[in-house]
Amino acid sequence: MQAAPSDLILQVENIEVIYNKAVQALRGLSLSVPRGQVVTLLGSNGAGKSTTLKAISGLLGLENGELTAGKILLDGQDISRMKPHELVRAGLFHIMEGRRIFEDLTVEENLTAATFALSGRGLTRTPFDLVYDYFPRLAERRNQRAGYMSGGEQQMLAIGRALIAQPKLILLDEPSLGLSPILVEEIFTIISRINRQTGVSMLLVEQNANVAMAVAHYGYIMETGKIQLNGPTSRLIEDQDVREFYLGHGGGGGEKSYRNIKHYKRRKRWLS
Amino acid sequence: MKANDLPDLTLPQMLAENARSIGARVAIRQKDFGIWNPTTWAGYFERASDVAHGLRLTGLGPGGHLAILSENRIEWVLAQLGTGLSGAVTVGVYATSPANEVAYVLNHAEAEVILCEDQEQVDKVLEERANLPHLKRILVIEAKGMRAYDPDLVLSFEELEAMGRADRRRSPGLVAEVLARQSLNDIGLMIYTSGSTGKPKGAMLSYRNLRAEAFAVRDMLELTPSDSHLSYLPLCHVAEQMLTTMGPIYCGSRIDFGESLRTVQEDLREVAPTTFLGVPRIWEKLHSAIHIGLMEAGGLRRRLHDRGVAACEPFATTAPADRSLGQKLTFQFYYWTVFRALQNFIGLRRARLAYTGAAPISPKIVQYFRTIGVPLIEIYGATETTGMVLAQKLSHLEPGSVGVGIPNAELKIAESGELLIRSDVVFSGYWRNPEATASTIVDGWLHTGDVAEMRGGQFRIIDRLKDIMITAGGKNLSPSEIENTMKASPFIKECIVVGEQRRFVSALIQIDAETVGKWAEEQGLAYTTFRSLAEEPRVRDLIGREVAAGNATLAQVAQVRKFSLLGKELDHDDGEVTATMKVRRAAIYAKYAGEIEALYGAGRGGAAA
Repeated sequence: MQAAPSDLILQVENIEVIYNKAVQALRGLSLSVPRGQVVTLLGSNGAGKSTTLKAISGLLGLENGELTAGKILLDGQDISRMKPHELVRAGLFHIMEGRRIFEDLTVEENLTAATFALSGRGLTRTPFDLVYDYFPRLAERRNQRAGYMSGGEQQMLAIGRALIAQPKLILLDEPSLGLSPILVEEIFTIISRINRQTGVSMLLVEQNANVAMAVAHYGYIMETGKIQLNGPTSRLIEDQDVREFYLGHGGGGGEKSYRNIKHYKRRKRWLS
Repeated sequence: MKANDLPDLTLPQMLAENARSIGARVAIRQKDFGIWNPTTWAGYFERASDVAHGLRLTGLGPGGHLAILSENRIEWVLAQLGTGLSGAVTVGVYATSPANEVAYVLNHAEAEVILCEDQEQVDKVLEERANLPHLKRILVIEAKGMRAYDPDLVLSFEELEAMGRADRRRSPGLVAEVLARQSLNDIGLMIYTSGSTGKPKGAMLSYRNLRAEAFAVRDMLELTPSDSHLSYLPLCHVAEQMLTTMGPIYCGSRIDFGESLRTVQEDLREVAPTTFLGVPRIWEKLHSAIHIGLMEAGGLRRRLHDRGVAACEPFATTAPADRSLGQKLTFQFYYWTVFRALQNFIGLRRARLAYTGAAPISPKIVQYFRTIGVPLIEIYGATETTGMVLAQKLSHLEPGSVGVGIPNAELKIAESGELLIRSDVVFSGYWRNPEATASTIVDGWLHTGDVAEMRGGQFRIIDRLKDIMITAGGKNLSPSEIENTMKASPFIKECIVVGEQRRFVSALIQIDAETVGKWAEEQGLAYTTFRSLAEEPRVRDLIGREVAAGNATLAQVAQVRKFSLLGKELDHDDGEVTATMKVRRAAIYAKYAGEIEALYGAGRGGAAA
C-alpha cells in the first residue's frame, strides 16, 4: 500500500471470520502495519475491530470463531495457523480489552510472567526498571497485588507486560476504556513515547478517535466488517465524515444540545 | 385501436366505486414490524376521505398542489387519493434527492402542503424554507424526535387524519361534492421527469390519461382482481404509479407495501407476488446476487447451474406451451434441480409476469432470467405517455425488441427515426412550461425523443435521439447499445461511452464493488476500499477481458478501444446520476474531462485486450 512488503511488519489479506460456524463477522478485510509505525483501527461498536485483533493473535478459537479465508503475515511469515503461545514467542503481543492481568499476583510477579514470551528467542531479559521508568507509579506498587490497583495502574501494568515481552508488534485493544480523561492522556503520551524510543510497531484499536488520531501515523476506518476509508491520519482528520462521525465536530460547531439531536443519520460517503 | 371499456370514472371516483362494489376485499397490505396489515377497499376510501377533509383544513384548496417526499407506504397512496378526493393534485418528489433538488421541485410546483416521511425529509424542507414562498404546512408521517418543531407549521399525519375524521363527522359532503364535479379532463397527478438532461419538468397527467393507462395495463399485462403487486419503486415515477394506483384501482387487484426499501428482497420472498416490475438496475442486482451465490457455492452446484443455463438458453424465448417434448423435459429437470431454488431465492417463483422498463437493459440479462424460467417481458414508456405504451407478449418474445403498441394508441416512426404517439395516454402538458409542451406535442403527436425501428411487427428502441453519437469518421453510434453490452458483465456496474467527434470509442467504467471484491478475494488480492480495488492492476486486466468479450459482439466502429476505471461510485449527491440512477452524461463528461482527455492522449489508458 504505502510501503514495500518488506517494510511491513504486519499484512492482513482478505481475511474472513465466522463465529459459531454461522455469523460472518469479517469479510475480505485487508490492512497492513509498516515497521515502526502506529496504525489505528477505528470504528463503532460491533464493527469488527476486536475480532480483527483476535484473528491476528489467534484467539478466535476461545470464542468459537474461525478464520475461514485469507492470510496474515507477521514480518513476512504466515501466522494464520499458529497457536497463540507460539505467536507470543514470534514477537506478537496482544494487550486485550479490559486490562487482562493476573489480579492475584503482584506487579513484579506479573512482569515475571511476561518473560515467558522471551523463552527460546535468545534475547536478553529487559530489566523491569525500564517499565518503572515509563510508569513510575508501578515502581511504587511493585509488591502490591495487581487486583487492588486502580484501573489506570492496571492498564499501565498491561502495557508494561508488553514491554517485557520485547515484541515486534503490539496489538492494543482500547487502552482508554473506562479511564478518566487525564489518565487517557497520560497513557497515550507514554504509548507514543514507547513507540518512538523502542521502535515497536503498534496496531491500536480505539473508540476514542481523538487520542488515537493524535498518536497514530496511519488509520483505517471500519464499519460492519469492512474498511470504509484509510489513509495517513493527517488526511483522515480533514475528512468531513470522519470529523462529524468520529471526532465529534458536528456541522455548525458549538456544543450539541440533546434536544436537537436527530433521529436519522446523515448518510456517510467515505470519499477521499 | 380498441375502445376503452373501463368505467367512465376518474381515479378517485373509481376508488369510491370500489368501496361500494368490492368494499370488503383487501386492497392494500402494509408490512409493519413483520406483520402484513390488510386494508379493504372500503377502508382505503374511508381513510382517504378523512385525509381529504384534513387537507382542506390545512388550507389546500381545489387545484392546489400537495407534494409527497416519502418512500412507498400506505400513507403515500392515502395522501394521493385523499388529495384527489379533495380536488387537489399530488406531486411526488424523490425522497433520496438532496435538499436543493427537492427545493427546486417544490418551488417550481408551487406546493402548498408537503407530506414528509420523517424528520430527515422535514429538515430538507426547512433548510430551504426561505425559497419556498408557497409553503403553508408540512405534514409528517413518523413524528419521532420532532416535539421541538413549530406546531403551527409541522403537523403529524395521524393528527391530520383525526382532524379530518372529526370534520367529516361534523360536516360530511365535501368528498361527494368534489366527486360530483370531477371530470376526466381534470389534472390528477403531476410527475417530474428525472432530469437526466437539464432541470426536471413537471408533466401534468389528467384523469383521462390515468384511465387510459389503466386500460392499457389491463389489456397488455392482463391484470385481474386475483393479482398482487409489491410496490417498492419510487411512487413519484410513472412506472410504479401505473402498477400501484392506476392498474389496481381500475382492475381491483391488491398491492403490498414492504417495510422499507432495504427489505425488498425479504419482502419479495414473503409475498411472492404474481406480477413484478424491476428497472434494469434491479435485474442487474439480482443477476449479480445469483452470480455471487454461485461463486460461493462452487463445485458441483455451479457446474449444474452452468449446464442448465447452457441447455435451456436456446429455447428461453419460446413460450412454455410451444416447446417440444425434449425441451420441456430438459427444462423440468433443471427446474427441479436448480432453477426452482433460484426463483425462490429472488422471490419470483409465483410471478406470472415480470417486467423490465424505464431504461434500456442488456439483452443478455433478460435472456438469463428467461432461461431460468422467469416470465420476463420488456416494456417501454415515458412520463409523457403516463407509463407503458409498448410491451412484449409472452407468446412472442424477441430479444432486443420492446414488443407492440398498447391497443389504445396510434404509433408511427417519423423520418428522423423518432417514435411518435397519438393516444389518450399522451400527457396534458408541462406545468408552467408551454414552450416545452409545444415542442413535445406537435399536431397531436407526442414526440418521444427516442429513435425506434420496426422489425417484423415489433418495435425496437435504438437510443435517445440526442444521445446518438457521430464519430470523427462520420459513423453513427448508439451509446446505450455499447453501454448495455458492457453492463451485461457482472463485474461492470456502470459504463459511460465517449465517442462524439472522436477517432475511436472509449469508456468510463465503474466496477461492481461486490462482485469484483468477491473476485479479488478468490484471487487473494488484498484491497481495502472501492478506490483501492479500482486501482488494482489485476482488476484493470479483469475489466479489460470483460470489455474485450463485449467488443466481440459489437461492430468494429462501436468497439471500446480504451477505458478508464472510476475511482469512486457515481452518486446522486454529487449530481452524477438522477434519483432513478440514470447517468447524467453532460455532468459526467464535464467532471471527468481530465480522464477522458487522457484516454485520447498519447499512450496511457487501458487498452482492451
